[in-house]
Amino acid sequence: MTSTTEHRLESDLGLRRYDDIRGLLPDITNPTPLVRLNRVEAATRLETYLKLEWMSPFGSIKDRIARFLLDGLAERDQLAGQHVVEASSGNTAIALAAIGALEGLEVTATVPEGVPEEKKIILRMLGAEVWETPDDLCPVDHPKDGAIALARSLVASDANLVMANQYENLDNVKAHYETTGPEVWAQTEGRVRWFITGLGTTGTVTGVGRFLKERDDSIQVIGVEPQPGHRIPGMKNFAEAKEPGIADWSVVDEIIRVDDDPAYETTKKLWREEALMVGPSTGAVIAAIDQLDTTPDEMAVAISADSGLKYTSFFKDILGDEGIPQI
Amino acid sequence: MTQEETIKTQTDITPTETLDCSGLLCPLPVYKAAIVLGRLDHGDTLRLITTDPGALEDIPAMARQRGDALLDMTKAKDHQEFLLKKGGAS
Repeated sequence: MTSTTEHRLESDLGLRRYDDIRGLLPDITNPTPLVRLNRVEAATRLETYLKLEWMSPFGSIKDRIARFLLDGLAERDQLAGQHVVEASSGNTAIALAAIGALEGLEVTATVPEGVPEEKKIILRMLGAEVWETPDDLCPVDHPKDGAIALARSLVASDANLVMANQYENLDNVKAHYETTGPEVWAQTEGRVRWFITGLGTTGTVTGVGRFLKERDDSIQVIGVEPQPGHRIPGMKNFAEAKEPGIADWSVVDEIIRVDDDPAYETTKKLWREEALMVGPSTGAVIAAIDQLDTTPDEMAVAISADSGLKYTSFFKDILGDEGIPQI
Repeated sequence: MTQEETIKTQTDITPTETLDCSGLLCPLPVYKAAIVLGRLDHGDTLRLITTDPGALEDIPAMARQRGDALLDMTKAKDHQEFLLKKGGAS
C-alpha cells in the first residue's frame, strides 16, 4: 500500500498548483496581469495597460512588500518576539497578517481613522489586532501620521515587538526593484514609456522607477498625489503627511495632483466601461493621465494597487440613490 | 518645587478610574486615556499616570480637543499625574 506522502504532488507553476498560498506571491516567474484599457477616455489617449496588483493572493500590491519586509526582519534577527507591528492603511497589515498566519507571527496594525470597515474586519479575521488611530491622537504632532506614531510607541514600549516600518524600510523599495519593475519591463517587452503610480509609502515609485530608469532613463516615471484632506485610502499628500524616508525623488519625473471627484468618477468608469473592479487609488492614477503630455503611440503602465471590494462602504456614499429603483 | 511640581490643581477628588501608563511612550498614553474616557460617564474622573515627559503637552492638548477638563496635573521627578474630568471643560 502506498502512503499519502508518496503521492504528494509537487508545486507546479505551469499547472498553477502550489504547496501553499505563498506560492502565488508575484515575481518575474508569476507576474500580476497587465490588462489593456480600451474604453476609459483618459487611458485611451495612449496605449495604457493596467497592472492588476490585486490579483495576488492577499489582494493588493502590498503582498510583495510584506514578504520582503518579513524576510528582512528575519535576516536581521529582529523577529525573536514573533510579533510585528505596522502602521498601515490596511493592505500592508493584511498581507503581513496573512503571511504571519502561516508563519506563526502575531500582527498588530495601527490604522488611520477612516480606513474602510471592510479592511478592519479582514485584519481581525486573519487574527490581527487592530488599533484604529483617531486623527487627533497626536494633538501636538502631525495629525495624519498618528498611526505611525502609535506603532512606534507600541514598539518602544515593549521589547518583544518589532515594526515592519514600510515608510522607512528599504526592503519596501527592494520588493519593487526586484519584482514589480522587472515584471513591467518584461511584460511590455521594453516598450513602456510612462510608468504611473499613486504615492503612499513611495516604495513602488522609487523601486520601479529606479529599475526602469536603469534600463532607459527617458522612461517617464509619474507619481500621483491626492489633495490635502482627500478620501483615497492608501495614498498620501505630503503637505499633510511626513515624507517617507525611503522616497527617492531623483527617479520621479513629475508628481500629478488629483482631486477626489475625478478619482472616484474614473473609478466608476473603470468598473462600468472596462469591467475592472478597482479601488479608488486606481481611479486617481488613471485620472492623472489627463494631465500628462502624451502621444497616442506611446505605451503607459499604470498601477492598480487594490481592487474595489474592500471599499464598498465608500462607494455606497458616492453612489447615493444610483441603481436603486425610484418608484 | 524641584522634586514635585503641581502645575494645576483644583480639588481633592477620588477618581472614578485610574490608568497607569508608566513605561509607555506617547502617543500610547493619549490613545489609552481616550479609550477609557470614552467609556466613562459624563462627569466621571480619570487619574492618569505617565512617565513620558511628552505627556505634559499631549494630555492637556487631548483634553482640550475632547472637551474634557484637566483638573490636576502634577510633574514629579520620574512621572506625571493627571486628573481628567470627562466632558468637564467649561
